[in-house]
Amino acid sequence: MTTNQSPRNSPRAVAWTRRRAALGKVWREFAANKSGLFGLAALVVIVLVAVTVPLWLDREVLSVTRATGEILAPPAGDFWLGTDHAGRSVLALTLWGARISLLVGISAAILSVAIGTIVGMLSAHFRGWTAAVLMRVTDFFLVLPALVLAIVLSTMLERGVGTIILAIGVTSWPSTARLVRAQTLTIETRPYIERAHALGGGHMHVLSKHVLPAVLPLVLANTTLAVGSAIISESTLAFLGLGDASTVSWGGMLKSALDTGAVTAGAWWYLLPPGFAIVLIVLAFTLCGRALETVLNPNLRER
Amino acid sequence: MSQPLLEFRDVSVHYRARAADTTAEEIHAVRGVSLSLAAGEKLGLAGESGCGKSTLAMSVLRLLPKSARLEGEILLDGEDISTMSWGRLRAVRWAAGSVVFQGAMNALNPVHRIGDQIAEPIRLHGSLGSSPSTSAVDRRVAELLEQVELPVERARAYPHELSGGQKQRVMIAMALACEPKLIIADEPTTALDVVVQAQVLDLMTRLVEERGIGLVMISHDLAVLASTCERLAVMYQGELVEQGESAAVIARPEHAHTKALAAAFPTVGDPVYRYAPATSSPLGLPEAPSTSDDEPAEPLLRTEDLRVTFGGTHAVAGVDLSVAPGEIVALVGQSGSGKTTLARAVLGLQRPTSGSVYFEGERVPRSASGLKAYRRQVQLVLQDPTSALNPRHSVYEAVAEGLRIHKVPGDEREHVAAALEAAELRPADRYMSVLPHELSGGQRQRVVIAGALALEPRLLVADEPVASLDASVRGEILALLLRLRARLGLAALVITHDLGLAWNIADRVAVMFRGELVEVGAVDSVLRSPSHSYTQSLLDALPSASVLGR
Repeated sequence: MTTNQSPRNSPRAVAWTRRRAALGKVWREFAANKSGLFGLAALVVIVLVAVTVPLWLDREVLSVTRATGEILAPPAGDFWLGTDHAGRSVLALTLWGARISLLVGISAAILSVAIGTIVGMLSAHFRGWTAAVLMRVTDFFLVLPALVLAIVLSTMLERGVGTIILAIGVTSWPSTARLVRAQTLTIETRPYIERAHALGGGHMHVLSKHVLPAVLPLVLANTTLAVGSAIISESTLAFLGLGDASTVSWGGMLKSALDTGAVTAGAWWYLLPPGFAIVLIVLAFTLCGRALETVLNPNLRER
Repeated sequence: MSQPLLEFRDVSVHYRARAADTTAEEIHAVRGVSLSLAAGEKLGLAGESGCGKSTLAMSVLRLLPKSARLEGEILLDGEDISTMSWGRLRAVRWAAGSVVFQGAMNALNPVHRIGDQIAEPIRLHGSLGSSPSTSAVDRRVAELLEQVELPVERARAYPHELSGGQKQRVMIAMALACEPKLIIADEPTTALDVVVQAQVLDLMTRLVEERGIGLVMISHDLAVLASTCERLAVMYQGELVEQGESAAVIARPEHAHTKALAAAFPTVGDPVYRYAPATSSPLGLPEAPSTSDDEPAEPLLRTEDLRVTFGGTHAVAGVDLSVAPGEIVALVGQSGSGKTTLARAVLGLQRPTSGSVYFEGERVPRSASGLKAYRRQVQLVLQDPTSALNPRHSVYEAVAEGLRIHKVPGDEREHVAAALEAAELRPADRYMSVLPHELSGGQRQRVVIAGALALEPRLLVADEPVASLDASVRGEILALLLRLRARLGLAALVITHDLGLAWNIADRVAVMFRGELVEVGAVDSVLRSPSHSYTQSLLDALPSASVLGR
């Protein structure tokens, strides 16, 4: 009873004050987790670079025809990380490549978590044949090799970033669906769900007012983790030559390094930067996600 | 008198509050308690939840959590517990004093056979020699099972195969395993229903008397304690407020809190308690409710040959029950008698296998939209208010939930304020922004009731509305139901295992046994002169403090 100085405080305002307080508490617990904090710092830097790169690094540097450097030159004064097979700066490519990796990673993760959350909640809430059908579909996607399916999808559909996002999104949701389903089943055994039914609340009411707010923290932590694996999938697809050839991505860089014989030429500076970039960004998302999970997932917090 | 078996000398226990709190506050759970228990004596320790009675009892075997700090002396057989070495303490635990824990369902390990669990203390303490042979241990387990009147073959059963009462018997057998001089029973019968409770109490009293074991029994129910123990000690907010002979304490309670505890469990059949639940304030009923026996022409709610079948079991087997407008009907029965299923079927939460429910003469529809309109008229109050409220929703949101679902016209805030006012949460403004965990149990139950009242229903279905509440709050909630009936003409179907509750507030009582109503009628006649043997056995099983008191 701390937030009722004025009796006409609208309930909405009260709810928001409480949410702010809850958020502050989550932040304090998150901040106590050193590795999570490290991941968050790395993420902030990467995102800042990716967003601002067009402001201070001209797109011209990506042009194959207007490349200024020598071919496959080792790191030196003008080109800190050397040049590629066309004489472009590897550093510039790596920095620009962060944009596409983040875009695809985050969009695909959101798509997959959204599908997973909806399927998971519905299959737990509706018993009977709806649940049976949804769970069989989930199982189907779970046993299907996601990479193969993604390859098939991205070859069949039109080439482009959208296709890659779709291919990753529709193949990686089943684990989220399982997680959300388990949490929904737990929530739905609580007597307040029974009370909501007795008050006359329908399916939409129970799902949106009681179940969704309760599974949301779990979903949030899951999304952060899913971004990491989506970025890996994106790099894999691009490496296999299924990405959009006109955009620079880390997977694409690795592919052209392999294709143009940079490996046999011993041009390690062409391979390592995109490789380390992938490792760093995935690690950052994973550290963040794990830390969020320990803060938000009630089952893990007990330990 | 010789040396007492157990003696508390000015014992205090403090708990350090969790570090999450900014202020390192200390909670004073037990304050300067001095008590003693002679060998073979039975002492009842009474009090509400949070009064420190369990803390005091657990301190005997130093079973308190690390955050607890103990002051004073506890002498067990003349030896000070707090200065014992770890090894000595281990030897004393179970061999000198053992515990029958609350909630036998959770105190038994679900993956071990009960025979092995009873044998565990025997092996640990080597009461049959340092490495007893399997057959010797088995013999001892069989002997123990026999003593608690369980078939010896049950040693091979797993806990989930036993009923609640049988599990409690296993717990007693475990407590007896090393032939202790002292047994501490922490709410040994709270989770059991009346008939089983009476059996377990009987058994425990007999075993303890035969062996001359000292017994400390903890309960919130004075009647239970009075029927088993010679002496009673009442605790309130960590302090010992009253102790003495059971009969004297019950008949002439001196402390106000003891009076409240004694009054909370009414004597069935005593007209003093009729329509008079124990409250601290005057009941404030406008007039004595008329107990006319003539049935009104149109019952508010009527079920006709209602049946609910789960697999092969008939949870509800053809029930005809009616509730008149403004009438309070108590549905009484043991756990497993199908009363909760019946309530859920009445509310449309459980689809009946056959039969139908009529509300104001009209058949209650089974479609979702039809049920929605019906649910404005009939509202549910659940047993445990703590879990019946979404912990993330403030009181305002919890009460407004029904209003929003039904899109009730008018100012939502005014409706919520009126509902809180009706549930006697005053001033309403103060409670609106509060979260459930900041309220006491009784206040939470009032919020649940307010949420139901917001829709201005005609009938409340209350499933054990006070079973999880403290004795003193219990009366207040029951009085609220009576006042709501008087003011708003609200009818209620109250489901309970507690005949005292029925005697307190109900007009009519329906006794349910194995899915069927075996007896229905006015409370006065059914509970005074039951015609069915099952009703009689329920009445017989009530712990009767009055027998001792008079």
